[in-house]
Amino acid sequence: MLCLQIAPGMAEAGDYAARIEYAELNHIDHGYDVQAHIDYRLSPTAKEALHKGVPLTWDVTIELRQPGMLWDTIIHNRKLTYSLQFHALLNQYVVQTPFDRSEMFLTLSAAMNFMAAVHDNTPIPAELVAAGKPYLLAVKTQFNRELLPIPLRPVAYLDNRWFLSSAWYTWPIQK
Amino acid sequence: MAHSKIKLPASATIILLFGFVLLSLQLMSSATQESSELGEMYSWLLVINTLGSVILLGLVAFNAYSLVRELKKKEAGSRLTTRMVSLFVLLALAPAAIVFYFSVQFLHQGIDSWFNVEIDRAMDDALELSQSSLNQRMNWHIKQTKQMADQLRDKSEALIAMEVGSLWADSGALEIAVFSNQGRVLASSSVNPSDILPHLPDEQIWLLLRQNKEYFAFDPGDNDEMLVRIIVAIEADQSRFLQVLFPIPVRVTDLADSIEFAFIRYQEMNFLRDSLKTSFSLILLLVLLLSLLAAIWVAFISIRNIVAPVKELVKGTQAVADGDYQQQLPVMNQDDLGFLVESFNQMTRRIARSRDETRAAGLEVENQRAYLETILANLTAGVISFDAAFYIRTANQAAYRILHIPVSHFVGETLPTLATMHKELADVLNAIQSLLEKADDIWEQRIVFLGPNGRQELLCRGTPLFSQHGARTGAVVVFDDVTDLIQAQKNAAWGEVARRLAHEIKNPLTPIQLSAERLQHKLSKELQDGSAEFLQRGTRTIVQQVEAMKRMVDDFSEYARPSKKQVEKINLVDLIQEVMALYLPSGIIFSTAFASDRVLVEADPVSLRQVLHNLIKNAQEATTAPCRIEIKIAKVSRNNTDYVELGIYDNGNGLNAEQLETIFDPYVTSKAKGTGLGLAIVKKIVEEHGGVIWVDTSYNGGAGFLLQLPVFEFGNNK
Repeated sequence: MLCLQIAPGMAEAGDYAARIEYAELNHIDHGYDVQAHIDYRLSPTAKEALHKGVPLTWDVTIELRQPGMLWDTIIHNRKLTYSLQFHALLNQYVVQTPFDRSEMFLTLSAAMNFMAAVHDNTPIPAELVAAGKPYLLAVKTQFNRELLPIPLRPVAYLDNRWFLSSAWYTWPIQK
Repeated sequence: MAHSKIKLPASATIILLFGFVLLSLQLMSSATQESSELGEMYSWLLVINTLGSVILLGLVAFNAYSLVRELKKKEAGSRLTTRMVSLFVLLALAPAAIVFYFSVQFLHQGIDSWFNVEIDRAMDDALELSQSSLNQRMNWHIKQTKQMADQLRDKSEALIAMEVGSLWADSGALEIAVFSNQGRVLASSSVNPSDILPHLPDEQIWLLLRQNKEYFAFDPGDNDEMLVRIIVAIEADQSRFLQVLFPIPVRVTDLADSIEFAFIRYQEMNFLRDSLKTSFSLILLLVLLLSLLAAIWVAFISIRNIVAPVKELVKGTQAVADGDYQQQLPVMNQDDLGFLVESFNQMTRRIARSRDETRAAGLEVENQRAYLETILANLTAGVISFDAAFYIRTANQAAYRILHIPVSHFVGETLPTLATMHKELADVLNAIQSLLEKADDIWEQRIVFLGPNGRQELLCRGTPLFSQHGARTGAVVVFDDVTDLIQAQKNAAWGEVARRLAHEIKNPLTPIQLSAERLQHKLSKELQDGSAEFLQRGTRTIVQQVEAMKRMVDDFSEYARPSKKQVEKINLVDLIQEVMALYLPSGIIFSTAFASDRVLVEADPVSLRQVLHNLIKNAQEATTAPCRIEIKIAKVSRNNTDYVELGIYDNGNGLNAEQLETIFDPYVTSKAKGTGLGLAIVKKIVEEHGGVIWVDTSYNGGAGFLLQLPVFEFGNNK
């Protein structure tokens, strides 16, 4: 396993912002596997919307960056989209994974836990990472307001009960 | 082209702007539809429209600010622009606000009408019905699964493997599987022979299974079908589990999905009710704002364009009011305002032409007036003009010279007012005033008065002035000092008398005298003593009287004869002192006040000496008390010529008014023995030397004479 740093912290301003609890970069056969754990939190408004049938979508972005003098160079970029929806008929929560798979859960916490464990099954190619150079692993989850129903969008941009995204969290990595 | 605050091609800008506004609003309106592909752009369209509103608001605010500044500066056209913009805003805003208010009301009421308690309940009931139906099916499948588990209880794995197939066939399940609590599959049977491995439970199901010893739930199957997954323990120690997957009929699944979709949709709409109202209201507000602001901005531009010619007209009018008649305004359009501007230009051209003509005429009049003034000023006759109320309007230089008062300084005054200030001229001024008031036609009058230079005689001619309508507009008085002329006439007459006397009287005198002497010579011897003495007395008397007559005639001859002057430069002071020395033995007390010791005049010394003799002798004879004579010499300037003014004052009885009038006439004397030619000869000599003599009427201590002679050189003051 390469060097990894766990640095939990607050996401974007707001009481219900998601938090990146940790991220890992594991060496596997042909590259590196990213694993992270995100603590999603839903405001009462978001929960109500979910139970009223509004699907909630987060985009988890994973980047591997090479630090530069003025800006970092992104050498690997992945976006994983998770969607959470309530199935009223079955009284279950459905999570649409980035891998075109639906998972049903009896409880909301079970569904959130499932989403929290991010596991990208597409490894970072080993040749992208050179030995002896410093890298940054950056992870964030972005609540996608644009997939909310149209009347809800302006409010979602202004109401902090809809500020469910996290900020960027970066971890220095030395191969 | 007038300069507007926004310097853009107005028509193109306006069309583009409205096109953009309409497009943006249409896109946003379309984006609000859930089915529209523009939904993804909704937020961007919202931002763009908001930004557009802000920009338009800025433009309107900038124009309003500019207008306020113009108003404060009181620039031309700003008030009209303000009125028109205010009117437009009022007319546009009032109906728009009303429409907006009622639209929002209708919108809110319309959205509220979508939802009511009955529909809520119906939707809940439909969902509950679907759930009951599914639960009922699940309960039946649970019971069925438990029965199958009972059949497999306490059987060996081999036997279980054999019975699973028959159980699957009897149950109608999609898949039956038996696995250990470690997850090892002991037996399975599936409707799909290709499924080698059964659908084993995931970690979450295992967790629930260990907690509850059984698990049953609906699972999403492949191809959007729905399954019922039921897992029960076969043995009480939970060493083996039986999992059965039952299919839900497609029809049931479709119906349930349909109900759930409708329920979810309804719930979502219900949840979004307030957001929907806000969203629609926001869009409506944006539409209103964009439309209104764009209209107001366009109104600013249009009104500025409309007012531009008016503004130019106002500026032009102000320029004309300030006297700039060269103002020409650009004609921007061939409309009514253009016609007005063209008329204005025509008017200013005409005014400029009229002004030039008037100026030329005024110049001509001014030249004429100056010419007349020059003529009047150089006239020897005094001219005074009066208005209808007899106030002095003009007076020339000659009037001052004749009257010795600056009449031109009293323009706007009347002659009586002038008389009160110059009492020495009161008689003549009041006389002229009286003639002016009485006369209805041209009048002529000789007026005699005692001026500062002695007796003066004016020949006055007055002409009343009338307007074309016959109203009296004033009068003009022309007067000339004819004193010298009259005196010259008199002198000429007296000269003629003297010449005749010399000719007619002097000639017989000699024979008379000779005859008397001859009588005396011849008869004195023949007559007796008494008669001879009588004869001698008679002849002596005749001879004496003849001699007296001869002297008188000689004096007249002397007076009438043109003088034979031998002019030379003499010092008047020396001459006076010589003459004074001659009279000192006679007891005359002289006092002198000479401004200079050297006063050179070009004159005949003999004549001047005679003048002095005559004046001093005259003073001596007019004084009974010890005679005191004061002689003064001063320098005066008159008509750009320097004169020496010689004053001789005695302490005698002085002169009365009657004497003053004839003092310089021949044969005028108050003395018993005088011929009355002394002062006449003095005056004659003085005038022959280019001088004047008059009685100083301001002197009251006796008689005073002032004579002025042209001076050649007047030495420095003592």
